[in-house]
Amino acid sequence: MSMRALRPYGLAVLAIAVALGLALAGGHLGLGNLEIPLFLIAIAVTIWYGGAGQGVAAVVAGALCLDYFFTPPLYSFEVDPKDLVPHVGVFVVFALVVGWFAARRRRIERELRRALDQLQEEVAVRMRQASLLDLTHDTIFVRDMNDTITYWNRGAEEVLGWTAEQAVGKRAPELLRTVSSRPIEEIRAELLRTGRWAGELTKTRADGAQVVLSTRWSLQRDADGQPLAILETHNDITERKRREDDIRKLNAQLERRALELEASNKELEAFTYSVSHDLRAPLRHVAAYAELLQKTASSDLDERSRRYVTNLLESAKKMGALIDDLLAFSRIGRAETRMTLVSLGDLLREVLHDIERETEGLDITWKVGAPLPSVHGDRSMLKLVLFNLVSNAVKFTRTRPHAAIEIGCRDGASEDVVVFVRDNGVGFDMKYASKLFGVFQRLHLPEDFEGTGIGLATVQRIVARHGGRVWAEGVVDSGATFYFSVPKP
Amino acid sequence: MNGLGRILLVEDDPKDIDITLTALEEYNLANEVVVVRDGAEALDYLHAKGNYRSRAKENPAVLLLDLKLPKIDGLEVLQQIRSDERLKLIPVVVLTSSQEERDMVASYRLGVNAYVVKPVDFHEFVNAIKELGVFWAVINEPPPGSVARRR
Repeated sequence: MSMRALRPYGLAVLAIAVALGLALAGGHLGLGNLEIPLFLIAIAVTIWYGGAGQGVAAVVAGALCLDYFFTPPLYSFEVDPKDLVPHVGVFVVFALVVGWFAARRRRIERELRRALDQLQEEVAVRMRQASLLDLTHDTIFVRDMNDTITYWNRGAEEVLGWTAEQAVGKRAPELLRTVSSRPIEEIRAELLRTGRWAGELTKTRADGAQVVLSTRWSLQRDADGQPLAILETHNDITERKRREDDIRKLNAQLERRALELEASNKELEAFTYSVSHDLRAPLRHVAAYAELLQKTASSDLDERSRRYVTNLLESAKKMGALIDDLLAFSRIGRAETRMTLVSLGDLLREVLHDIERETEGLDITWKVGAPLPSVHGDRSMLKLVLFNLVSNAVKFTRTRPHAAIEIGCRDGASEDVVVFVRDNGVGFDMKYASKLFGVFQRLHLPEDFEGTGIGLATVQRIVARHGGRVWAEGVVDSGATFYFSVPKP
Repeated sequence: MNGLGRILLVEDDPKDIDITLTALEEYNLANEVVVVRDGAEALDYLHAKGNYRSRAKENPAVLLLDLKLPKIDGLEVLQQIRSDERLKLIPVVVLTSSQEERDMVASYRLGVNAYVVKPVDFHEFVNAIKELGVFWAVINEPPPGSVARRR
């Protein structure tokens, strides 16, 4: 019970007991007056390590022991206050002094420990941040105001090839051989003035290759505003630059091509103009003089010569038609399309009206299916498409006693309107289907069916300009169907 | 053919002239025609300058004008006629091989009275010339100051 009560004062009891033991032993060995210093040492040790509470206990215990063992009458607590008070006073003052020092020491110790903890925490945060900077693929490095590298992240290692160990401590300009389109001094001046700079720099990698970098510089200042360090971050834009260069080159090439094309278009235009004007004149003369010859000299000519003149006339006429068709064909390629909403039904009515002259005296059964829809397109060009297809159907059914021509529309779920013209005419062999739409391509002899071989080529050109396509199905001697598609409006 | 022409034919091609005159002959209009061979000569005639200083004062009843001409082309001749107070009323018919839309548009912009593409077919050509000649030199009443019709 007494031991447990004494435990909080264990250090005081132990120290005083040791001091008492040593003082008594010293007394036996004839070494007197050791008790006071020994008790002071015990009190000091107790206060230093045990704190104020134990210190008070040590002072009290020390005073009691001094009274009992060393102050006459010995081995009694009776005492003359005059003998004890000065000693106890020394004990108390000494205890206060030591206690003050101990408290101060403890406070300093606590502050030190706190400062250390903070420092450790900060180091941990910094370490985390530094490793975060290492995660980015951007190049980040720091150099001091003498351009000596002080920090170098993993991105810098990846892009520039130097490891942090190799780079830190080196001077950046020499290590990286920085090249700029603007003098570096100017950039530096701007950085010092504004605190930041962004631009493009070329640096040299560890392996000697040049890299183009999109660069940002930021200036770090100390508390007084003095420049401290420069943080450089980079993106490697070598590849982008190369692609930009490629694109620039391609664009230049394209521009050149466009100019060439324009020039050759102009040439072509001049050529067609020339064909239109200069070729027609002599042709007209041939036709005119042949005609005049036929008129004035017909009676003087024999049968054979008359046939020559007739052939001459026919050829001239044929060539005239060819030139006219060719010009019309080339005009479709050159003309600008005037796109409006066009009713194919209306166009068809006009075409059927226009074609009446050609079909006079022919036995044709017309069948027009569901009304044709409206589409976006050039009115006159689309009319030419319908006209050429219908006129073809009329032409190639001419040899039939009863011609049947059907015009209709397949308006399925697709995105296109499909119009067809079907006839029961002479048809064609599907193995020549690919030749149908070529310029000057003909599948019939001129004496069987007249024509210049331009009509379907014109159809194809117009439909292609409208974003559609043309195709045909046919069977020899049982008719043909021509289709064209145009996008739905 | 000096001075009396009601039809001024501006044409450089001798064969076209020959054929045109042949066509006009049928209506006895051939000797009403003054032929000039290029744009400069046409302007000389109209302004009564050079070789034509002594021509009759009246203007032709109609001008048949080819577009592709040596020295001064047809469009420029047309433009000078239309900007000249004494000549601007003369009816001008462009008679050309060109079917080009821009020629047609340019001609109408300059105030041409008619634009005729020479047909390749002889009959059509003859008909066209005849109709032109008859219409402009016979049926149409030319503006005052033109060569009077012989009745």
